[in-house]
Amino acid sequence: MLIQTIWEGIIIGSVYAMIAMGIALVWGVMGILSFSQGEFMMVGMFISFYANSLLGLDPLAAVPITAALTFGFGCLIYKTIIAKALKGPRLSQRLITFALGMVLTYGALILFGGQYRTIENVLFDGTWDLGFLVINKRKLITLLIALVMVGLMYVFLNKTRMGRAIKATSQDKSAAQIVGVNTEVTYMIAFGISTALAGVAGCAITYYYPVHYQAGAAFLLFGFIAVLLGGVGSTFGALVGGIIMGLTDTLTGFVSWSESCCLTPSPRPLR
Amino acid sequence: MNTVILSLIWSIMGIGWNFIGGYAGQVSNGHALYYAIGAYTVAVGAEKFGASPWMTMWIGIAISIGIAFLLGKPLLRLNGAYFLIATMAVAECARIIFLNVSYVGAATGIMFLDKKHSGWYSLQFKDKEPFYYILLVIVALLVLAAKGLDKSKFGYYLRAVKANEMSAQSAGINTPRYKVRAYMLSAAIVSLAGSLYAPFVQYVDPYTLLPLDKSTMICLVAVMGGIGTVAGPILGAFVMTFISEYARAAFSGFSGLNMLVYGIVVIFIVLFMPGGLISIGQKAKERFDRTRKRKGGGEHGSDS
Repeated sequence: MLIQTIWEGIIIGSVYAMIAMGIALVWGVMGILSFSQGEFMMVGMFISFYANSLLGLDPLAAVPITAALTFGFGCLIYKTIIAKALKGPRLSQRLITFALGMVLTYGALILFGGQYRTIENVLFDGTWDLGFLVINKRKLITLLIALVMVGLMYVFLNKTRMGRAIKATSQDKSAAQIVGVNTEVTYMIAFGISTALAGVAGCAITYYYPVHYQAGAAFLLFGFIAVLLGGVGSTFGALVGGIIMGLTDTLTGFVSWSESCCLTPSPRPLR
Repeated sequence: MNTVILSLIWSIMGIGWNFIGGYAGQVSNGHALYYAIGAYTVAVGAEKFGASPWMTMWIGIAISIGIAFLLGKPLLRLNGAYFLIATMAVAECARIIFLNVSYVGAATGIMFLDKKHSGWYSLQFKDKEPFYYILLVIVALLVLAAKGLDKSKFGYYLRAVKANEMSAQSAGINTPRYKVRAYMLSAAIVSLAGSLYAPFVQYVDPYTLLPLDKSTMICLVAVMGGIGTVAGPILGAFVMTFISEYARAAFSGFSGLNMLVYGIVVIFIVLFMPGGLISIGQKAKERFDRTRKRKGGGEHGSDS
């Protein structure tokens, strides 16, 4: 039972890690605490859901589509809103992402309605019983997607030209400009990638989590805390922070006296 | 009337938040905690002991100040975003506690309707007018207090902390002490707002008092109006409440559209008026002064 709890913690933690990486990236590069990360995740969930119900795509196949769409969406948001907000005071930047989250949440409510939806016909279903551990294949897929994303992010940030430009900009903006980095483009790409990370997290979690317009908000605070635990601007730190949060989450549910005491973002409405 | 009363309650919250977030520049994202404490104290007092909100609101304020003191000491050492996340986490913890303690009604909340006592004792009236006047008086008193603080030593100390904490410290200001005091003051005022809200709706539950975004909306009210000013939070509260309530009435067919409109308005205000709504008035006044000066100068020139 304890091993099972830890396993579940690692799975939910890997999702927190994806959210946290996005938050850490935007925070590290442009100093914005992004409150809309949870809502970007919700957008990813809806893309995945509609790719499944309209096009018959498995969420796993929808991952690249979601990533591309949310990346584009993030770049658009950056160009239209964030770039302007960056000139203003820091508090306004945070509030603008909060308001953006509000627009997305209620936009989703108006467009898609308030009911919970789940994706039934997925490629991998059922469980493996190892005796000491029951592995739900749906959750395993989520974990795998998260790990692949963390790996890709690591490679991107350390091995590619663009990734190194992003890192340079986050360390010292003017120095990066001196050595020929177009920081404006870097900012846009970084914001797009952080949106895409949240989108993919949303897409991955539809494998076992119901799609709902308020689903994202519950993940936001956990993402923030994971960033604090892991350290701003570190991909690996975000992974560790996320998994610590996931373990805290499931283990407190394990030891606490009542079901509702567990901190897990349960699929019930938040307000 | 309903909208005006809600606006007044939001004004109180905005004024309260403004002390720590506006003057001292420590952006708290957990003030819903104090709002809930105020509301719950009144609700529990009325339901279990038949106490008047006039008495229980002071208990709520005392509890809020105590908690603000205990939390403020360690949390105010954090800076910027870290303080924000920490306060946010505290408010979220409070929500989970309120959700699980059955004494305060757990997830169902407390519904209280005091029929035994007169309206003035229980603050529950058949029509809303007396409540409106009570709120008006309280807001007026708070505005006077805020005006006084605006020009007092305390107000200037807090602004110094906001501008540059290091140099405030080197000028001899005990910055942690003043930050904690500002935090306690703002907690007390927000708790008062909660204590007034509870008898107005006669119902408290964790979902309406402590949703994740409540604290940010308290902050929004102050920032939209004009951060660090006396009139700003009130202006912000009225404008934002009217927008959301009118949008709710106008688009009653679409649930959620009012919040969508609210969000869009916030984005526009933040993008195009970084100083908040109050900056329109200030700019207009500046322009007016300038044109008058120019005119005055012209006349003067023709005289000589």
